[in-house]
Parts: sequence; structure tokens; C-alpha cells
Amino acid sequence: MAQVRGCNIPEDRYYWVEKHVWIIRDGDVATVGITDVAQNLAKKVVAVTPKKAGKAIKAGKSVATVESGKWVGPVLTPVGGEVVEVNAALAGDPELVNRDPYGEGWIVRLKPDDWDGDMANMPEGAAALTAYESFLAAEGIECGR
Amino acid sequence: MSHPIRLVDCGSVPALRSQTVFHAVAYAMTPETPDTILLVAPGEPYVSVGFHQDVDKEVDLDRCRELGIPVIRREVGGGAVYLDGNQLFCQWIFQQGRLPAMLEDRFALYVTPLVETYRSLGVQAEYRPVNDVHVNGRKIGGTGAALIGSADVLVGSLMFDFDVDTMAQVLQVPSEKFRDKVHQGLREYMTTLRRELGTPPGRDEVVRAYVDACSAALGRAVEPGPLTAAETAMAEELDGRFASDEWLFSAGGLRKHGVKIHEDVHIREAVHKAPGGLIRATAQLRHGRIADVAFTGDFTLQPGSLVASLERELRGTPLEAAPVGACIDRFYDRYRPQSPGLEPGDWSEALIKLAASPETGP
Repeated sequence: MAQVRGCNIPEDRYYWVEKHVWIIRDGDVATVGITDVAQNLAKKVVAVTPKKAGKAIKAGKSVATVESGKWVGPVLTPVGGEVVEVNAALAGDPELVNRDPYGEGWIVRLKPDDWDGDMANMPEGAAALTAYESFLAAEGIECGR
Repeated sequence: MSHPIRLVDCGSVPALRSQTVFHAVAYAMTPETPDTILLVAPGEPYVSVGFHQDVDKEVDLDRCRELGIPVIRREVGGGAVYLDGNQLFCQWIFQQGRLPAMLEDRFALYVTPLVETYRSLGVQAEYRPVNDVHVNGRKIGGTGAALIGSADVLVGSLMFDFDVDTMAQVLQVPSEKFRDKVHQGLREYMTTLRRELGTPPGRDEVVRAYVDACSAALGRAVEPGPLTAAETAMAEELDGRFASDEWLFSAGGLRKHGVKIHEDVHIREAVHKAPGGLIRATAQLRHGRIADVAFTGDFTLQPGSLVASLERELRGTPLEAAPVGACIDRFYDRYRPQSPGLEPGDWSEALIKLAASPETGP
């Protein structure tokens, strides 16, 4: 897994860098989660409340609220669509988001309305690493501090 | 950053509005909205609950109804807290990217003017990372952070006075013993301007000191300004939403095993079922040690006076298996108590469960 300023940024997915959200598509379903950067900034996650399955969410809107010991904030989806599944495991074990932000700590799955339109400006792969690196450098963010 | 910060001093407003107004500035934020410091106090007391708290598990709603105290959920995390007109809320609503990205740095910046304000008033306040202000080991006010809409929000307060008696009454707690410990913990480990100075200073003096300290900490001018029509309209809309039961009871999910008085002082309760009966341990933990513990339940420990002896022996013991086990073994060696169906390890087990986290607090 690629590392940028101490943060893990896998190259197999897309990122909304400024919002610290990742998204990956599998057929007609896209999975959304928060990045290693986000979980490093927020620290220990104590609660995650996703929107309910069946709810339609516009691109740029919140699909969940995450609370850590010191912070609360929304998880914004880069792509609009209907929530088809939420990660039920987070209710009992919200720290999955800290331990495995790109795997078991995923937050919701959506059926995108317009993947190509919404995702036109979201970087993936090497471009995502470059974009994330310059954002983290500008903000003075490092993971594991 | 050359743009001045807008200072909105709302004075005293209805309880609900003291919460909705900063949410409104955040939700109504446009790229043109100035970074804003909002000062406000509630005209009447209320209980503020954290975003993810299960309200009926955290707050004694019947007691609040008896006392005529409304309960209002905020979009900031943390625990339930009783608030009234003796706190001045200091709410920062900033454009994203204008505050330090790392939360530790962001809190350090936010807390600096609070500390400087207390010091200018003659109270030796100190920053206790990550987000507390302490005076000689006692906490003076709490702080929190959130991303609301597209705004970075920091909230906290300047504590003129704090009603620990009512605070201890309105929390939902597992037992009255636990409530006593919370009450005692708040009395011992929270402080206020009144407690430190005898008579709290006037609001105007405190506001002047705080605004000057904010300007110094942020390196920017702070200029008074009004709310916009859009922000006021948003506050009115949020008044409706925040007053609804649907909003109050809609969250939940935050698991809680105790009450945090401050970073170093915690009230916890744990239960262990032993063959000889149930042991309930209710304790104040301080810096990872058992400061004070009470045992209740249906166990037998004879002679009866030995329960108090055991509680006394445990004071100051680090809450770890080895020292707790050693303390209880010493107690059994010295007093040879009769405890049918209870081994020394059963007491240890109840005590070690106290170390469970997470928890919430004021």
C-alpha cells in the first residue's frame, strides 16, 4: 500500500482528497469510506451513524456521521445515488474505521446515479497519491504523529 | 489572513437558540461568510446532550421534566452537560482551511484565549491537552469540535459558575451510589470563576479580555458584526428541528461505561457475578488509580465492617491486575474474612472491569 506523509493511500480506488473520503466501484455498486488520513485526524472513533438503506443521497452530501473522542463530522459522498447497504458491523465496533479504514471499516454502499458525471474530477491511482501528497503538505498533516 | 473575524455577541437568548445559533451560522455558511466568533448565554437552564448519545440512557428525563429543564441535542460530540446563564459560550465557526488541520493544534489554538482570559482575571488556568482547561488540577469548562455543513466549529465556554448539584441530578446513572460519586467528583474536580475568585467578574470585563485574547491568538482583527438575514432564518428553522422529539431521540449508538469528570478523573461502575453473589464496584478513578471505591451487591463478607476496610485498603492502588490482586491478597491474609462463594479473584475481577472504556462526560 502506498504511503504519503505516513498515511496509507491504496492506489486501487478514487479519492475526494479535501474531504478525506475514498470510493471504489464494483459493478453497479460503489463503496464509500473514510481515509487513513481522516481516521488519523479524528483519532479513536466512538460512533458511526450511516444514513438508512433506501435513502437517496445527492453528490457532495453526507452518507454518515462519525464521532471520535474529540470531533464529530459528516462523511460526504462524491457520487450521488441510493444507499443500498450500510456497514452494520460499525454499530457494535466503530473502531473498525480506525483499524481497517479501507476494508472492514467501509461505511456505506451506494447505487450511483451518474458515476461518470460525479466522478469526473476525482483522482485515482498515481494521480490520487500526487493530489493527496500536495494537499497534506499544504495543510501540514502527517499520520501517526 | 487579512480578513477580520466577525464577533457576534448574542447576549442572553432562549435555551434552544443558544444551541441553534452556532449551527445556523455553520449551515448558512457561504464562501463569503467571515470566520465568526459567537458569544451567547442561555436565558434559562437546559441539558445539552452529545450528538450520538442515547438520550434516555444518559439523561434522567423524568427528573428534567420535574425540574422544568429542557433537553437539547447538539451536533457536537461528547457527553450530557447541564448548562445555564452562568456560562458564556464561545463558539468559533470558521471556513475550512483557516484553522490548523491537526485537531491537537486546533484545540491548542482554541483553548489559548480561554486560558489567557482566565489569567487576565487572576485565575491561574492552564491548557490540559487535548482539549481541557485546568486550574490546579480542576477542570474549568469543556470544549468540542465538529464539522457542521462546510464550517469547522469549535465550542467551549467561560465558566462564571456551575451548578454541580443539578448536574448530578439530571444524569441517568446506574445507581444512587454512582450518583453520589459523580456529585463528589464534580465538587472536587470542577471549578469556576466564582470558586476561584469569590465573586465572579462582570460579563463585559470577561468579554473584553476574551476578544483581545482571541485577536492575539489568531493574529487577526476581531470586529463586531450582526448575523445575516440568512443566518437568522436558518436559526429559526433549526429551532423547530432541535425542539422536536424526532431530533432528540434520533441518534444514539455511543456506548458508555461511566462519567468522565475530566481527563484524569473518571466515575465508573462494574458488576461481577461470583458463585457467592453479585459484586458491584462503584469507583472514582484518578490518574489510573482507584481513588475511592464502594462495594454493594448481595455478597457476604464477614465481619460486615470489613467491606469498609477493603474499600479503604484499595485506595490509591493502580487499576491493574497485579497491584489490585496483591492488595486483595494482603487484605485476606490480614483479616481472614469469611466470604462464602467469593474468592479474592472475584473482587479483582469486578475491579478490573472498571477499566473498560469508552465513556462520555461533561
